[in-house]
Amino acid sequence: MWKETREREFGNIRPNLFSSRISKSRVSSIRLSNYKEIVSSHRGSVNSLQVDLTEGRYLLAGASDATVAVYDIERATNYDGGGLIAKHKSLFVINKQHEHGHKYAISSAIWYPIDTGLFVTGSYDHHINVWDTNTTQVVMNFKMPGKVYRTAMSSIARSHMLIAAGTEDVQVRLCDIASGAFAHTLSGHRDGVMSLEWSTSSEYVLITGGCDGAIRFWDIRRAGSFRVLDQTRSQFGRRPPLLVRPITSKKSSSTAQSSSAKVRAPQKKLANGNALKPHAVCRVSSQVKTAKQRSHPGMLSSHDRATGHYGVVTGLKVTEDGMYLLSAGSDSRLRLWDIESGCNTLVNFETTRLQSSKAIQMAVSQDSSLAFVPCMTTAKAFDIWSGQTKCTFRGHYENVNCCWYNAINQELYTGGNGRQILVWSPSKSISDEVDEWRKEQATSINQDNWSD
Amino acid sequence: MNKKISELEPSTSRKRPRDRESEPELEDDVENSRSLSLEENFTFSDTLMALRMMRAQFPRIEKVSVEPFVLQSQLYSSIKDRTQVDREIESLRRDKVLRMFKLNTGQDDHAIMFTDDYLNQVERVLRRMEEKKQTDLTVFEWFKMYVIQSKLDISIGHQELCSLLSLGGKVKEENISQLINAGLLIRQLIDENMYWFSIPNIGSVLKGLSQGRKELLSFLSRRKYKEMMMATLEKKRLRLSPLDMRFHLRDLIGSGHLKTVQTPSGLIVRVAKD
Repeated sequence: MWKETREREFGNIRPNLFSSRISKSRVSSIRLSNYKEIVSSHRGSVNSLQVDLTEGRYLLAGASDATVAVYDIERATNYDGGGLIAKHKSLFVINKQHEHGHKYAISSAIWYPIDTGLFVTGSYDHHINVWDTNTTQVVMNFKMPGKVYRTAMSSIARSHMLIAAGTEDVQVRLCDIASGAFAHTLSGHRDGVMSLEWSTSSEYVLITGGCDGAIRFWDIRRAGSFRVLDQTRSQFGRRPPLLVRPITSKKSSSTAQSSSAKVRAPQKKLANGNALKPHAVCRVSSQVKTAKQRSHPGMLSSHDRATGHYGVVTGLKVTEDGMYLLSAGSDSRLRLWDIESGCNTLVNFETTRLQSSKAIQMAVSQDSSLAFVPCMTTAKAFDIWSGQTKCTFRGHYENVNCCWYNAINQELYTGGNGRQILVWSPSKSISDEVDEWRKEQATSINQDNWSD
Repeated sequence: MNKKISELEPSTSRKRPRDRESEPELEDDVENSRSLSLEENFTFSDTLMALRMMRAQFPRIEKVSVEPFVLQSQLYSSIKDRTQVDREIESLRRDKVLRMFKLNTGQDDHAIMFTDDYLNQVERVLRRMEEKKQTDLTVFEWFKMYVIQSKLDISIGHQELCSLLSLGGKVKEENISQLINAGLLIRQLIDENMYWFSIPNIGSVLKGLSQGRKELLSFLSRRKYKEMMMATLEKKRLRLSPLDMRFHLRDLIGSGHLKTVQTPSGLIVRVAKD
């Protein structure tokens, strides 16, 4: 670290490079924090964690016992262990006794992206509540047809404040806070929707993963999904920045000559899915025109049966640059998709098992180099492009459900079925620890009055 | 012979000169490979080479005649970089060197078979059907000529299947039932319009596969420390599975249920806890 500082002093490296190197070295040394602890006030498994996007200071957690709590992760409420361990208790807790609180488990709790004055919770009692943070009162309530699995709001939205809600029902509903009504519904999935995320590059694009294994992209300004990810369509690693020549048809393997592990040849298989349009019928005895001729162009994609996973899609995460999508499925596979081309990049993440009954929340580091994924009772950090496990975070006694990476101070928060929220932070530098210890020693010497 | 050698990372530091020279002398080595112990035969640097070696080591089963196939998890056990394995399989699949099939023995099981072997298997099934004096085997010819050559995926939709078959002639419902009865196609459970491609005559082998897995895992779990030396383990015979121990060990190590630890006295196989 001092070498970096010296280089920056002399002007050899630019400020961005300096800060990214420091944060990379800090991220690689993340382990269970020995100076920070969050005192969980939940009596049920923690299902959802989010740090607010404006200040990065308040952690919102939703749990299975219908409690929602907010923790201040920068200022500790009290110190323990001789001043060495900072304990963070919750600023407030909302539980079942609240007159408008949820009655069943809360599956997702998110902050309003613009400021921390509002937060939105979705619960298995079929309701989505919008709460005012300062008064802890419900300001708006939406009733859904089924258990709410996930809610999401776009962090880059300038023209809408829609809450996208994925429920047991096959339709994704968009709820509008401004008007208090449902804006519209998106249909196309054939089973419930367990995970959904807004795109980080466009405020109108929503990505949903369903219990049928399909991952669909929706533009909310029109009907139907405009893309369905198919796991059989794949490309090798990153697409090249510029196309050398236009892709015409399936090319023969030019990767044979390439000796690099990460192949960058512009190989794209023409989507066979596109040729599968229902109008190419050769049905045996049918003489009836199919319904395709009549259906709305936006509804074409509902005939597309491609799946992204061989099971339920339990988690989705879009990288911050908006170019790649990480998806986790109950087939215990993690897949990395290139959003622009819609292809599977065939990166193999070494996961043995992922929990399949509940949704998981994943996190990606800011420079999109590490993915933090809850795998059963541990959380693992994978290198996104090679798929290798960089680090395994063991500390929970039961399954981990959610994790959130705070890029400001390179900390990772994980919540699990064991009702705990653990903090994983880069190790404190030795000089800091020695200073604190010395401070503690100094005070104890003063108290130890041997003689006057 | 395969010229594609990935030089970037040798699989482990235990890469032996035998692996390197086995490239040109693959045929001789193929016969020798049956006698090599599993410990020596464990690391490969190249997917195609690993596939060929494993295909050569496929156990001979008495009652059922199945062409050799390799499970995807077995490849993961031998080659360190899984992403590279996935990508090489994908490029080989696009070159029609091999075909992938999804198996029903578990969550994400895939079998890889060389295209020639698959065609041989289909031939064998056809010949047996001819012996039984089954009528009208033309649909199989169409299947071989049109569908297998052009559709390289794991599954196929009903519409596309009909359109490809009708390049040969008029398609009737019975033809599709014939294909399913022969074991070349399987209906998908989640979607009645989609079919998985499948290897005919493989049912008993798959049953042996899942039972053998369970037996091996339970055997190791019952031991006091849930581990055993690989040298002693591979001499055991599994009661419930016609496939040999090496096959199952590779499969379970690749899928992460077992892990190997290097010790001064050799490799130890241990049940992996999460």
